[in-house]
Amino acid sequence: MEIGIDIGGTFTDGVVISGQEVLKSIKVPTGADLSLSIERALKQIMKGVKPEQIQQITLSTTLMTNLVVQNNLAKGGLLLIPGPGANPYQGKFPCVYKVLRGGVDYRGRIIEHLEMTEVEEACTYFLGKQVSQVAVACKFSQRNPVLEEQIIQYIQEKHPEIRVLASHKVSGLLNWVRRANGAYFTLTTREACAVFQENIKVTLKKLGLQCSVFILKADGGTLPLEVSLHYPLETIFSGPVASTLGALACTEEHITAVVIDMGGTTTDIALLLDGKPLLAERGAFINDYPVPVRSLAVTSLALGGDTPLLLENSQLVLGKRQGPALCLGGPLLTVTDLLVYLGYSDIASPQLIAAQVEKMACALQLTPQQFSDQVLALLWAKVEGELEKMFKSWEEEPAYRIWQVLSTQENRPQTMICLGGPATGLGEFWRKKKGWKVIIPAYASVANAIGAALAIPTLKLELFADTERNTYTTSEGGRQGVLSASLKNTEEAKEFALKLFRQIARERNLTEDTAWETLYEEGFHLVRGWQTTGKIFQIGLQTVPGIRAFLKEEAPYV
Amino acid sequence: MSKTGLVFFPAFDWAISPTHPEREERLLYTRDQIFEEGILDQGRIIEYKPRLAAEKDIQRVHFCVPDLAAQTTTAHFISAGSALKLGDALMAGEINNGFSLVRPPGHHAMRVVHGNRGFCNINNEAILVEYLRKKYGLRKIAIVDTDVHHGDGTQDIFYHDPDVLFISLHQDGRTLYPGTGFVDEAGGPGAYLKNINIPLPPGTSDEGFLKVWREIISPLLQSFHPELILNSAGQDNHFTDPLANMQVSAQGYARLTEELKPHLAVLEGGYAIETALPYVNMGILLALAGQDYSWVIEPQLQKQQIKQSAEVSRYVDKLITYWQKILSQLPPSKEELYGQTSIYTNQRSIYYDTENIREQQQEYLHYCPDCLGLYQVISQSDRTSGRPGYLIEGISIPIYACSACHEKGYQLWEEAKKKRKGHFCYLQDKKEDRYLVHKVI
Ligand SMILES: [Zn+2]
Ligand SMILES: [Zn+2]
Repeated sequence: MEIGIDIGGTFTDGVVISGQEVLKSIKVPTGADLSLSIERALKQIMKGVKPEQIQQITLSTTLMTNLVVQNNLAKGGLLLIPGPGANPYQGKFPCVYKVLRGGVDYRGRIIEHLEMTEVEEACTYFLGKQVSQVAVACKFSQRNPVLEEQIIQYIQEKHPEIRVLASHKVSGLLNWVRRANGAYFTLTTREACAVFQENIKVTLKKLGLQCSVFILKADGGTLPLEVSLHYPLETIFSGPVASTLGALACTEEHITAVVIDMGGTTTDIALLLDGKPLLAERGAFINDYPVPVRSLAVTSLALGGDTPLLLENSQLVLGKRQGPALCLGGPLLTVTDLLVYLGYSDIASPQLIAAQVEKMACALQLTPQQFSDQVLALLWAKVEGELEKMFKSWEEEPAYRIWQVLSTQENRPQTMICLGGPATGLGEFWRKKKGWKVIIPAYASVANAIGAALAIPTLKLELFADTERNTYTTSEGGRQGVLSASLKNTEEAKEFALKLFRQIARERNLTEDTAWETLYEEGFHLVRGWQTTGKIFQIGLQTVPGIRAFLKEEAPYV
Repeated sequence: MSKTGLVFFPAFDWAISPTHPEREERLLYTRDQIFEEGILDQGRIIEYKPRLAAEKDIQRVHFCVPDLAAQTTTAHFISAGSALKLGDALMAGEINNGFSLVRPPGHHAMRVVHGNRGFCNINNEAILVEYLRKKYGLRKIAIVDTDVHHGDGTQDIFYHDPDVLFISLHQDGRTLYPGTGFVDEAGGPGAYLKNINIPLPPGTSDEGFLKVWREIISPLLQSFHPELILNSAGQDNHFTDPLANMQVSAQGYARLTEELKPHLAVLEGGYAIETALPYVNMGILLALAGQDYSWVIEPQLQKQQIKQSAEVSRYVDKLITYWQKILSQLPPSKEELYGQTSIYTNQRSIYYDTENIREQQQEYLHYCPDCLGLYQVISQSDRTSGRPGYLIEGISIPIYACSACHEKGYQLWEEAKKKRKGHFCYLQDKKEDRYLVHKVI
């Protein structure tokens, strides 16, 4: 049996799943203290369940999102070693920073050495500003970390009061701005993450749970709780991931569909393509700052069941949430009220708000039917606009190889999975208007917790090996090192990549037989003066994305 | 916020041969530099997915001998298509300018294609020009070719077209492939002074490069009033390029791009894949996006003096004076240039370095007072090892042809089909966008 828990802004949902069946589901209000909310949810769900029956718990938490988006971070700074290229003062960095001399090039060769006096000056500057957490980021540090390491060593010796972290330890992604920001956020959330982890451990002990615990990641995979302490950023934005995976679990393996999750105030839109959630092309952004995290391509609209319907200059407009729906005692007529009026929702009696709907229709010189159509059309126009953007960016994903240009002519989805109360009614409208197939899963209200419970660990490894310089680096895991034996061809390089892949997989509690696939494998001849002097290999491997199981329950189709 | 479109197509799975300069590795470090900078996250630069050009897009420009399949690979279709993709984005107003950072290159590919010349089979810029004219009705387009090699292919394709101003600045043909691009190659009788060559002496640096731009090219562009400016952005004027002898730096290229303000730039040559390309490409991209490029300094630059000699400066000044004088005078009319004859003829020999093919050509341009006139070419390639020779005849009807020329084009086509036994005839009807090939039996 597995437990999935998703902590949302308003509710914390939990499920117990056995094989392909949901045995139990719960919903409790989310409190201010995250650890406490988890404890409450776990206690409730464990009622009548023996602790030893539980093999695994997966949590989708808002911890990182809360810390980072609300800027509850320790005070930190950045030391940047840009070398030649774009002006570093125009880069998107979230904190105070100092730019230092020094440089590494794309092959990992040092092109300029550090000036240690500059490092010392920077330390004085940071300490003067009470900044005692400093992340260090050098362009191409993943190809050669030595400049970052020299700075770290210097600061640890001379200024032990400053806590430091090198960007190459956080990620090997080819994007130094993302690595720098990743190191900064990792460093400044580390303490809060450690406290959270301790709290969880205490809770588990209290409840007699000895199973392994995983945290849901932004890319739809999971990380062991202990490992997540090193890569806390990867657990950000897991909420939409949980519901998208939940939607997948309630349908079928190769589904291609749009997933719409509509809550009271926001609507999340995601895409499932052949059973795999679409990932954001370049990665996640935190408050507009790019970070080295693969995340789902999710669009959030400030639109939901509580969105009020307003009249402005005798025009119908959608306003900002003022409270719950009128039929639930709120102040204004909302989207939910309209759905109740039309009979798409039965949370309240239509009599409660009929007069208000008719009054507003009358003010617009429309029949209630015309008025309702207009509201739904207005709503869907917004959703459709976002969908169009998502489709376009999916279709425009760059391709750097001939086979990629040739192989990605895909068709847009014609199926929609609706989650969340208001989405149900709106789905019906969409089906009528567009002729799409609309699916409303039986467990729509706890799809997020189901998604968390059924998520599997993911790992993507990109190896870059340079046999002329005898070095290699990996993206995820941020590893670099010396090639002990020269790689002669692409097959040997792939073998080597697979070895590293399995090592990192073990650290992340993946089993030996985890299914993996090749993303690309290529070798480049290094030719200098018409002589081949070495080779560069690029190998991309990843675990086959997906979920552990699909629920047996036939999803009711509209 | 103004937007810059980017199609990046390094073709990591295509090479002429494993050790050829035009191999998979060529844009690897450029990829590294651009990605590592993180500039694609800022929203100013929009990356587009490459696409394939249609066969028609290529036939609108070339007579591929004996057919398209013989002269192209999928990589060529993508390289050409990438420029078209940006052309569409530009015309749709999605972007203000764009950079097609693609391989293989194209500016040595002429109208008739018997094989690969100077690493090129089909001409990406020419295909873009004809596409934009056909699809969007554009008329006047300027192409500035900043590759170190003379853009002989582009010159050939637009030599008789007064609506396309082609300007090539390059290392003097007496010292470098392809050995052409002298000042007297100034356009056909109907397009005189619409083909401007600026052959620079070896050793020209940023100073001479920018001076020629400011004192010849910039005023020339202003008086031409193009609807669109394209840049054939070769990068082999770089001081580290292994195939040429110039002294231009990434700063020089970026500055030129900033001032030229091309609507679309298309990568051409440049084979200093480590020392030049990552930096020059970065400089051009930043300049197009209106961002600070002053930090793009090659690591080698401090070590190497790139100041041009006094002798080079004197030569450049003389070249500037020459062009300023010519361009300030009223050019002779089309009628004066045709003189007594109504058909301008030209005989020449073309060499294909990559494949060691020699081609003999006879060109005919039919005078017409109302339009560009018909273009006719008879071309023969010699037999080389493993490849038969071909004799072909091509007839080209210009896009804005008058109806008399349009009709006459089809007459010539019927005649050609009768006379060339055993060989190939091509009709390029740009007016109706119709392209015919016929093997005469
Ligand atoms: Zn060139
Ligand atoms: Zn005519």
